[in-house]
Amino acid sequence: MAAVRETVETVGEVEKYKYGFFTDIESEKAPLGLTEDTVRFISAKKNEPAWLLEWRLAAFRRWLTMTEPTWAKVSYPPIDFQDAYYYSAPKQQAKLDSLDQVDPKLLETYEKLGIPLTEQKMLAGVAVDAVFDSVSVVTTFKEKLAEAGVIFCPMSEAVAKHPELVKKYLGSVVPTSDNFYATLNSAVFSEGSFVYIPEGVRCPMELSTYFRINEKQTGQFERTLIIAEKGSYVSYLEGCTAPQRDENQLHAAVVELVALDDAEIKYSTVQNWFPGDEEGKGGVYNFVTKRGDCRGANSKISWTQVETGSAITWKYPSCILRGDNSRGEFYSIAISNGRQQVDSGTKMIHLGRNTTSRIISKGISAGKSSNTYRGLVSVHRKAENVRNFTQCDSLLIGSKCSAHTVPYVETKNPSAVLEHEATTSKISDDQLFYCMQRGIGEEEAVALIVNGFCRDVLQQLPMEFAVEAQKLVGISLEGSVG
Amino acid sequence: MSGNMAEKAAQNFVEAYEAARTALPGADGWLARRRAAAIESFAGAGLPHRRLEEWKYTDLRQTLDKAGFASAPEHMGAVVLPEAAAASAFSTLDRYVLVFVNGRFRADLSKAARLPKGVELHGLADVLTEQWAKDLIERRFDEARQAEEIVDLNTALMNDGMCLRIRKGVKLDKPVHLLFLAADGGASHTRNLILLEEEAEGTVLESHIGEAASFADIVTDVALGDGAKLDHVKLQDESADAVHLATLRGEIGAGARLSSFTLTLGCGVSRGQSFIRFAGEGAEAHVNGAYALRAKQHADQFCVVDHAVPRCASNTVFKGVLDGQSEGVFQGKVIVRPDAQKTDGRQMTQALLLSRDAAMNAKPELEIYADDVQCAHGSTVGELSKDALFYLRSRGIPEAEARRLLVLAFLDDVITLAPHEEVRDILRGLVSGWFEEAST
Repeated sequence: MAAVRETVETVGEVEKYKYGFFTDIESEKAPLGLTEDTVRFISAKKNEPAWLLEWRLAAFRRWLTMTEPTWAKVSYPPIDFQDAYYYSAPKQQAKLDSLDQVDPKLLETYEKLGIPLTEQKMLAGVAVDAVFDSVSVVTTFKEKLAEAGVIFCPMSEAVAKHPELVKKYLGSVVPTSDNFYATLNSAVFSEGSFVYIPEGVRCPMELSTYFRINEKQTGQFERTLIIAEKGSYVSYLEGCTAPQRDENQLHAAVVELVALDDAEIKYSTVQNWFPGDEEGKGGVYNFVTKRGDCRGANSKISWTQVETGSAITWKYPSCILRGDNSRGEFYSIAISNGRQQVDSGTKMIHLGRNTTSRIISKGISAGKSSNTYRGLVSVHRKAENVRNFTQCDSLLIGSKCSAHTVPYVETKNPSAVLEHEATTSKISDDQLFYCMQRGIGEEEAVALIVNGFCRDVLQQLPMEFAVEAQKLVGISLEGSVG
Repeated sequence: MSGNMAEKAAQNFVEAYEAARTALPGADGWLARRRAAAIESFAGAGLPHRRLEEWKYTDLRQTLDKAGFASAPEHMGAVVLPEAAAASAFSTLDRYVLVFVNGRFRADLSKAARLPKGVELHGLADVLTEQWAKDLIERRFDEARQAEEIVDLNTALMNDGMCLRIRKGVKLDKPVHLLFLAADGGASHTRNLILLEEEAEGTVLESHIGEAASFADIVTDVALGDGAKLDHVKLQDESADAVHLATLRGEIGAGARLSSFTLTLGCGVSRGQSFIRFAGEGAEAHVNGAYALRAKQHADQFCVVDHAVPRCASNTVFKGVLDGQSEGVFQGKVIVRPDAQKTDGRQMTQALLLSRDAAMNAKPELEIYADDVQCAHGSTVGELSKDALFYLRSRGIPEAEARRLLVLAFLDDVITLAPHEEVRDILRGLVSGWFEEAST
């Protein structure tokens, strides 16, 4: 086991954040700090209607009365919310007709991130709504989506072009008063994606957004809203990276999903924000509220997440299973290394009859990190024949990391069948020995076992992401995995 | 100390302390200072409520504010045991009996003569001058531990209790049975101290019974020396107006073994807390229990096992049957400290809902800071399996009988984990009696 110990020690050094460059583009910011004026500034910048400004201001006033939640198993120095910029946009902002007109520096940045916009148009069949700090730079594949009647655009555009939809659904899943960070987001959100799938439409391609925090000292507060009308289907991919900086960056996003009768939304995330260096300096504070509402009968919402980045992750993608026979799924891989702290999980709120949910969570801790699964399965009194299965497994690599499991189960209906199981262990010597006596090197064997450990979740990812995710799993545990 | 109406019950306890202060055991010694510190810290914190994570599902503040218990009076005369089967449950066993009425020891009703050499059995007031008792009581002040704040209330007001010390290598020849009877209404605060020195062995049985609207606040502090073995069985069947708060705190030495089992049948609101801490390697702890509730009963099982040292094993299983509008709670936590390698920690909670209005809340937690460990927990909630019922009925067993078989079999799984065959038989009888009553 000497080799393993050694590799564990070198994990921190080997894992260099490969997305840690930052693009030097002049940008326009809101004044430092957060006041009503900041909210008005953001709203004015985006030419928003009066109702939305009021909505933001109401959220802001509410936020002033709230205190930061402290129940999560993470610790960090107090955040000075007045010492941050709440809006940042690249300066050149002329209307763009084609990709050729985009600042080559921006395109280069995306190139490094591995999303070749220009090529994608011809190849992959993935429409990308790329968000660079707060302003959406370019949206491809619009025409093709328009043919199907799918609306896929930046939130600001949706506010301008489809105000009735935005007004109807914005804040209907995550109300402005929901929690400290969601309320903050409601006040200052500046970008995000808006997706609307009309009745009976199966979205012709996977939709994807690449978020990226670039500007120093800026928070990113995107707000994503996806509405799947009756009988529609959409698969949405989200990837996140941020440049390497010494100070901490704040990311407080809100994602709302609405699935009506027979609709299905599949939401996949690969999160690789900068986790801080080996000493825990810098890194992104990722405080995200994600919630899906299975509003219609037979609807389905599925969350898949691969969390490898961020100094601190505070994230609980949830499903409200309101419609009868609706289904919620949560598949998660959370890998923490160095001094990362992850507190993540899900909530499955069963309100409708015959609703089912499935939770598979795989936590892997290495280095000096802390990894917590926190989940709730709740069954309402009127929810008949609910079925839930929860499995959360933790794998510990090295003796200085920690893994925690905090599952809540609350039932008010006897017909519910709920099962929860969790295990925590290290890679067993038997498994390693078995692989090695068949001629597989130790590092390779560890990789094999970790891959097997994550397989249930990796399988849930769409092809486009599965490859990236597998690579990320490798990078995140490099040294200990091989 | 606020005059807040919502803090009425806490205020009452503080006043009860002021009134009884000089009459409480140990009023002239070191304990007086401890009591003063404890009541101050209690008055500052108040009674626990739902906004505290450890009390998320049981609001003791609200419960006690509503009930408004005064201190239980001292009961002098003869007592009549309630008719409930639980009242005479352990009477068939050959045992030492210590009877406490309204929280006070009654030598006249007890039977604990001719103890083996090396076994000391006293009331609380008699051991307060001894160092071992002081060590156990003062433990709370060494380091604050989670959810143990409420123990301050007990420290301030504890009036009596059983103190058992078994000397090195001595084996207690028969069980010590503590019979707590709530003859009149009111609050009583009991502190039991149990010290088993190296390689000592013993069994303690507890039954808590009564038909009065009482509040029983019991803290049992256990210290097991290296290689000691303690079997502990607690049976609780009090009235629907009663509130029961029992805290078991155990410190377990190297190679020692604690086996604890709780059967909860009675009481309006009950909370059983166990805090087990391993102090030496190779030790074992089994904290198990069953509960069967009906009407508006509420039972909360809270269990923290702290693996502070390597190579210890812990196993926690709680199973419950919920009928009527009853509510069951299980909150458990296994902590594996850094360096507590080779830990084996297991936790299981299962509940069977027999009625439309019953509810169950479970939260089994793992908190792990070491890598070479085996930890697992599980949690299930559901109703009687329709397939199992159908299977039995297809073999000619009437539905009522089939239900009985399945419910009892469900509970039997965990009763099997209780120490001593005779005790298990008694527990089985009680559970079966509970089911008969529930179905008539």
